[in-house]
Amino acid sequence: MENSATITAETDAKCASCFTKVATEDVFCTSCGYPLKGTESEQRSFIARQEVNNLDYADFNQQIKKAGNSLYYLAGIFTLSAIINYFRFQDNPDTISEVIIILILAFLFLGLGAYSSKKPLVCLVSGLVLYIIVQVLLAIDNPINIVSGIIFKIIIIGYLIKGIKSALDFEQFKKEHNIV
Amino acid sequence: MLSEETVIEPVPLLGKKACISCTVLIDSDCKFCNSCGARQTQVQGANTAEKWQLLQQGGVFFGLTLIVCCLAKFVDALQNLTSLIIIDAFLAIGTVAFFATGWQENKRLLHWPNFSIQKLSLYCGIAMAGAFLVHYSVTWLNITIFSKEESYIWGFIGYPYAKVLLIFFTAVTPAIFEELGFRGYLLQILLKVADEQQAVYISAFLFAIIHLSFLSLFWLIPFALFIGYMRVKEHTLWYGIFFHFCFNLTACLFELL
Repeated sequence: MENSATITAETDAKCASCFTKVATEDVFCTSCGYPLKGTESEQRSFIARQEVNNLDYADFNQQIKKAGNSLYYLAGIFTLSAIINYFRFQDNPDTISEVIIILILAFLFLGLGAYSSKKPLVCLVSGLVLYIIVQVLLAIDNPINIVSGIIFKIIIIGYLIKGIKSALDFEQFKKEHNIV
Repeated sequence: MLSEETVIEPVPLLGKKACISCTVLIDSDCKFCNSCGARQTQVQGANTAEKWQLLQQGGVFFGLTLIVCCLAKFVDALQNLTSLIIIDAFLAIGTVAFFATGWQENKRLLHWPNFSIQKLSLYCGIAMAGAFLVHYSVTWLNITIFSKEESYIWGFIGYPYAKVLLIFFTAVTPAIFEELGFRGYLLQILLKVADEQQAVYISAFLFAIIHLSFLSLFWLIPFALFIGYMRVKEHTLWYGIFFHFCFNLTACLFELL
């Protein structure tokens, strides 16, 4: 019985789930709630629940990472667009100011992408809104822009929305499981 | 030699707390009760579905404001005083309507607890100094990058009471209704969705970006962050409204004086 060995009266007894030190009189682990003196079935179902939680945690992280990556793609696309614009329209006096604006956007997406692992909700909401506003402004400039690259735009917006939902779930999950 | 009489020692309470479920005394850093297994942190506030719904509500407010701002900025036919009055009135009514949807909760933001004239003066002073810095840096950037100058007064030239109109539409109405909308309605929603820091960041970014000037983000984001923190710290919109008013008024005075 592997689990019962961990709850002996020894002072260095550890929880079988989170390996935190536990006291002899503890019925439940004070760190993860593992039923130290529960039946084997209770202990097994606790471990199973923890594993499901770990899978959820990994899933949220992956969704957030995907959404964060889409911010990096946008940063790359805007940088590329700035370079192309610069070399294609060098003679136009307005090109420099346009390139600077595009580079500011690229820098913003890059910053949001980089920070998205720390503050996912802030970065993904800001990134989504920024992207939508850029698309609105491009559409005002030329309505054809709405349909150009529409599939790519839908994918980016889809990733960002999924990322925001995952970030909300992740925040809730962290609160429920005391994760800082 | 110690007497053998029984000494009742007090139960040490330092570093202990009662379990929220079975009230047994446990260490204060325990996440779970060692006796009943109950989790010691209660997750308060909205769940994920409710938070998503709140975000959508905020999105509707932001989307409508964005549409009106785009119309005001890019439609040539709307570049006159009558249109400006209609657009401002529409924005004001819309903002008040959104703010009123959570009236029971939001009305507290219209109170002014712990009013302090010193604090108000300090905030107004910071706003004026900030406007001074922003005015010169933005003018320099506009001339250097875009080779052009911009002025708020140009839109009012030719109308009677142009200076009064400039101050009313640039300093008074934005200060009241932008604060009511962004630091009142939107930030209040975001505070239910995320923690204080994230809520202030998001509202600041949204406020900055609705101005549709990417170059101005360098000052709009810190400006909105400052007012956001002020609103959260002071639990009132009034300091923010006065700060915003003083900032915009100073910008107007640069053009009038």
